[in-house]
Amino acid sequence: MKILLAGRISEVAELTGFIAPISSTADIHALIFGKPGEDEIRSLSVSKAIVAENADPSYADDVVEALKAVLGKEVYDYIVLVATRINKEAGARVAQTIGAPAITEAIGVRLEDGSPVFIRSVMAGKAISKETLSSPAVIMVAPGRNKPVDTGKRVGEIQRISISGKRSVEIIERKGKERKGVRVEDAEIIVSVGRGFKSKEDLSMAFKLAELIGAQVGCSRPIAADLKWLSEEHWIGLSGKKVRPKLYIAIGISGQPQHLAGIMDSKIIVAINKDPGAPIFKYSDYGVVEDLYVFIPKLMEKLSTRQK
Amino acid sequence: MNIAVLVKLSVDTSYMRLDQNNRVLFSEIPLKVSDIDRNAVEEALRIKQQGLANKISSFSVLTWGSSDKRVSEAQNLLREILAMGVDESYLYVDPGFVYSHLYTAKILARMIRKAGDYSLILAGEASIDGYSSQVPCRVAEELGIPCVSYARRIEVKEGKVIVERDLEDSVEVVGVKLPAVVSVTREINTPRLPTLLQIRAAMRKPVNIIKASDIGLEPMKKIHEFVAEGVKIQRKGVIIEGKTVDEKIEKLLEALAKEGITLYRG
Ligand SMILES: Cc1cc2nc3c(=O)[nH]c(=O)nc-3n(C[C@H](O)[C@H](O)[C@H](O)COP(=O)(O)OP(=O)(O)OC[C@H]3O[C@@H](n4cnc5c(N)ncnc54)[C@H](O)[C@@H]3O)c2cc1C
Ligand SMILES: Nc1ncnc2c1ncn2[C@@H]1O[C@H](COP(=O)(O)O)[C@@H](O)[C@H]1O
Repeated sequence: MKILLAGRISEVAELTGFIAPISSTADIHALIFGKPGEDEIRSLSVSKAIVAENADPSYADDVVEALKAVLGKEVYDYIVLVATRINKEAGARVAQTIGAPAITEAIGVRLEDGSPVFIRSVMAGKAISKETLSSPAVIMVAPGRNKPVDTGKRVGEIQRISISGKRSVEIIERKGKERKGVRVEDAEIIVSVGRGFKSKEDLSMAFKLAELIGAQVGCSRPIAADLKWLSEEHWIGLSGKKVRPKLYIAIGISGQPQHLAGIMDSKIIVAINKDPGAPIFKYSDYGVVEDLYVFIPKLMEKLSTRQK
Repeated sequence: MNIAVLVKLSVDTSYMRLDQNNRVLFSEIPLKVSDIDRNAVEEALRIKQQGLANKISSFSVLTWGSSDKRVSEAQNLLREILAMGVDESYLYVDPGFVYSHLYTAKILARMIRKAGDYSLILAGEASIDGYSSQVPCRVAEELGIPCVSYARRIEVKEGKVIVERDLEDSVEVVGVKLPAVVSVTREINTPRLPTLLQIRAAMRKPVNIIKASDIGLEPMKKIHEFVAEGVKIQRKGVIIEGKTVDEKIEKLLEALAKEGITLYRG
């Protein structure tokens, strides 16, 4: 089996963690974009590194051109990328060109009877799909879930290629998004807010509670996407962040499947909602039917007296 | 200029059905127009209202079964988007269809080419059942034209399309020459709800059924197989009862303490 990991050097390192369960008998190569130092390249646990120095991975066109150049010379069973938005474009295009199947947001892989079976979530998180793809295939891995792993391979050969850099998409302007360094993905406790909050100002209650219990604040899609009361770093769900805290406290969130899709891996889920019929209660460990405007201040009062 | 919209008839994730072995019964779940594709339709209508497009056609490949029942279900759903203002629909029906994004994209590209001249092809960022974000750029590759995804604003100008696209760490304004494929996000607009009159009028608009022989497609191979299993809810589902808020809070904290979680930092 031959596997090609492609991306920025940090992404390639992350991908070694994803493919670890299938890497023992595989030949693993890397296609690296940008100009990493020789030491950095040699620290990757792959047997061959191909460096496309003049490819800018923030352009799907560059990723596609570099991949096509490599795939034109060598055949790989699996071409593996991190599923960033740009890479999803590039991966889909490369797969179509080589007539290959692809999967997006793979969350795991294992060997079954000698062939890799990839795992992903479907049906808005209500089902887990086990997928087998004829090779060659393009695999796009859910970002941020894997850490670099030593697969036992050492870089034997470093090859350099260059691309023409012809692009179909012209970037007119690029604005960075506001980032406050919130990482709900890593949080042990999350206080998550939904449309049950009547105004942006009221969210300060949730932040105070979060501070008191050492939690991060998360939110449902409408809070970040429609109302824009919080930045997208807080957004949890199918189209947002997937979280795995010890404790997830959903306040004023109804529990639609697209939200639940992001919180499946939480250890304990607590829901506060004033509607006893809210679906979130069926998907929680503990539910309290209460008005959040009554509940949160009372809870904070209790916690601060206990703390003293 | 004509606009093509890719509309997937997804299975409705709120009506999941499972067999005895906990496997998802895709063929028995009702269909719906994939949510974000309604935003793509709405955007096409807005461009037409600005006087920038003549005709809007929708293209669908029926993926979850091709029985008569499925076909009429699909036709009824397509009437909803015809009622929104789409001029005509094309629906690919094929008992030999083998699930795969590769073939879906090949079929869509061929249908579009055969149906006419389309400068802008709009799609959703992802379909609600599979959520794979593959088909739009695959169609673009098949047609040999550019692809821009995650659009939250679109402007058609002098043979070009200017797109504000939403990436993880940045918002980019990009320009591409037409023809091009653009996939949109849910934030781009709010899809209109057709009136009763429009729904009635839509009965007269065409839903053209396309078969494999119409587009000369070679037989499909099984290249992508999957088994989907329902995620079992293993939550306790305990509702904390109590006469007062204080009582409920006490009981909640007690329950959490038993789970090994203390909320106050000691
Ligand atoms: C393609 C697609 C992708 C999506 N992705 C996501 C995603 O990633 N994340 C996500 O969250 N959603 C996502 N959604 C949207 C999702 O379907 C729901 O619309 C959304 O999760 C609802 O948010 P909510 O629970 O905050 O609001 P609502 O559904 O409006 O619920 C508000 C809740 O607050 C309760 N409430 C009101 N007042 C009070 C009070 N005073 N005290 C206590 N409770 C109160 C109400 O009883 C209600 O249950 C997606 C949808 C689609 C179609
Ligand atoms: N079977 C299909 N028929 C028509 N359009 C489709 C089909 N599958 C996907 N699409 C389009 O491609 C987008 C992304 O779908 P997906 O790649 O399945 O996530 C959808 O929102 C549709 O616009």
